[in-house]
Amino acid sequence: MGHRKLMATQTHTVNQQKDRQINQVLKAMVRLLKKVWVWIPLALLAVWTIGPILITLSISLKTRGAVFADPQLIPQDPTLAAYRDVITRPGFREAFVNSLVVGIGTSLLTLLIAVPAAYAFARFRFKGRHLLLLFTFLPRLIPGLGLMVPLYRLAVAVGALDNRLTLVVVFAGTILPLAIWLLVGFIQQIPRDIEEAGNVDGTTFFQRIRYIVLPLSVPALFTIGVLAFREAWNEFDLVLALTRSPDARTLPYELFLITTGTGLANNPGQAAFAILTLLPFIFVYLRIERYIVSGLTSGSLK
Amino acid sequence: MTETVHQEMAEGVPDTHRPSRVKRRKGWRRSPDEDRNSLIGQHWLTPYLLATPAVLMVLALLAFPALYATWGSLFATETIGGEPEFVGLQHYGDLFTDPDFLWSMNRTVVFVTGCLILGMSLALAFAFALNKAIGGLRFLRGLTILPYVVSGVAAAVMFRLLFNEDFGWVNKALGLVGIDGPAWFVSPTLAMVAVIVAQVWTDLPLAILLILGGLQTINPDLLDAADVDGASGWTRAWRVSIPLVTPQLVLATVWFSYSTLTALGVVLALTGGGPLDATQTLPVVLYETAFRNFDTYPALAIVVVVLVLNALLTLIYVALGRRWDIGN
Repeated sequence: MGHRKLMATQTHTVNQQKDRQINQVLKAMVRLLKKVWVWIPLALLAVWTIGPILITLSISLKTRGAVFADPQLIPQDPTLAAYRDVITRPGFREAFVNSLVVGIGTSLLTLLIAVPAAYAFARFRFKGRHLLLLFTFLPRLIPGLGLMVPLYRLAVAVGALDNRLTLVVVFAGTILPLAIWLLVGFIQQIPRDIEEAGNVDGTTFFQRIRYIVLPLSVPALFTIGVLAFREAWNEFDLVLALTRSPDARTLPYELFLITTGTGLANNPGQAAFAILTLLPFIFVYLRIERYIVSGLTSGSLK
Repeated sequence: MTETVHQEMAEGVPDTHRPSRVKRRKGWRRSPDEDRNSLIGQHWLTPYLLATPAVLMVLALLAFPALYATWGSLFATETIGGEPEFVGLQHYGDLFTDPDFLWSMNRTVVFVTGCLILGMSLALAFAFALNKAIGGLRFLRGLTILPYVVSGVAAAVMFRLLFNEDFGWVNKALGLVGIDGPAWFVSPTLAMVAVIVAQVWTDLPLAILLILGGLQTINPDLLDAADVDGASGWTRAWRVSIPLVTPQLVLATVWFSYSTLTALGVVLALTGGGPLDATQTLPVVLYETAFRNFDTYPALAIVVVVLVLNALLTLIYVALGRRWDIGN
């Protein structure tokens, strides 16, 4: 009887020891998981953000057959054939040049119009100031999609269809609220004493803007320039509505035409085209990223 | 004049944002005290002249189209290019009894809801993770905005390759867990899923940045206090962090719905509205009515519907922004 009891206690302690071991392992795992769980979303974020671009880049470096035959991310025989196809394709070069012209034009026109307006709103208290400021924000109520048909009719009526200048003016108009918003905040932070000092020294109004306000607002101007360029470079809806021929058609529309073409899909070609549309950003990305983040987070959402 | 001065003295520092009640003198300003916010020596017309180009541009490009769409939607032509006739609200009546249009409203609701659920969950998870990322991991923050420089059409091309039945990486990943990858763009349900994923991909950066911005303003003492009180990581997230970033969450939600409601590029380039009209959202219908069938006047009625929906969302945005003193 006592012997059996002893055995029972022994098995009991053995079980306890096992339990303790399992507990320790579990605790170690929980501790590990606690350290790792922060990393899981970060890893997911990296995959989610870069994954689609990397895979597209990989496909763009393969031949049509290799897309099916060689499933690896790093191509066995990388080739630039798809890029050559895209670049020599009629329409691509025109579209690329159009995109550049429209993009740079939009940046410049946006700055040209936004700087004086923002200066007025930042530095003067005038009758109707709030009303006018509100009015310049009106475009935020109206998305590009809503503008397609009315602006198309307007462009037809005044003979401005299929014209790069039309695109520049329209895109500058759509980015203007964001530009004014950013600049007003920025100019207000420039101490007005500097300008008053300039005023005492007898500078003219334009000299003060040219030599005091503009040099001090370079970060904001740069941000606005980049945001305006991106807007013009990537805009699709309004290009679809306002262009008819390769004369003014920009890259997104040209890419759209390729993807909707009939016949067997040229996968590497489409991939190469998509990668080429990122070209202007790849070179300046690390420089502009900081500005874009600050521009977009400073209270305004486009 | 003296009254105002007394008032300002009584209130302490004069409120520079309130328009001065001093009667403005036309012509050159002499005293800077008359209006603290004007530079001395400026003509009263100067600010108006400076703001004129911007106001004109808004007037020509944005106010005019909105009014034109509203007015034009009340007309119709017998034949294409014919003389427009006044028909009142007939187009709106036609739209809301047209099963195709009602179907597209249905698709739009599914699309926007899907984008919101997927987008906001990802944005929240990624923003929390980025908030914890320190040291060498900070570069991930910069990486986050990468999709922002990809156009909708280019994103559609990328996701068409990703969701490809034969060589797409989505099906490869599904194969790893033993699921036989489907043909995404043949099934109406799955095509909608693919379009939602692609749209969320392009729109996510702004939502992440917005929520991350909110998280970074949280006073760390609050989280430390919760920690001392024995709250676990999840409890702290749910009971402290999330309530504190509610304004940013709401604004991100409204902005997300605004952006997906008017999204044309991704949908048109990825599925073109198919298969079986499964992804025929409102923007696609608008495009087809106006630029494929050239039914300009009914298309203007759709434009007005889009503008009204947008205005409602923006009003919510502005009202909430004012309530929490952010955004606008």
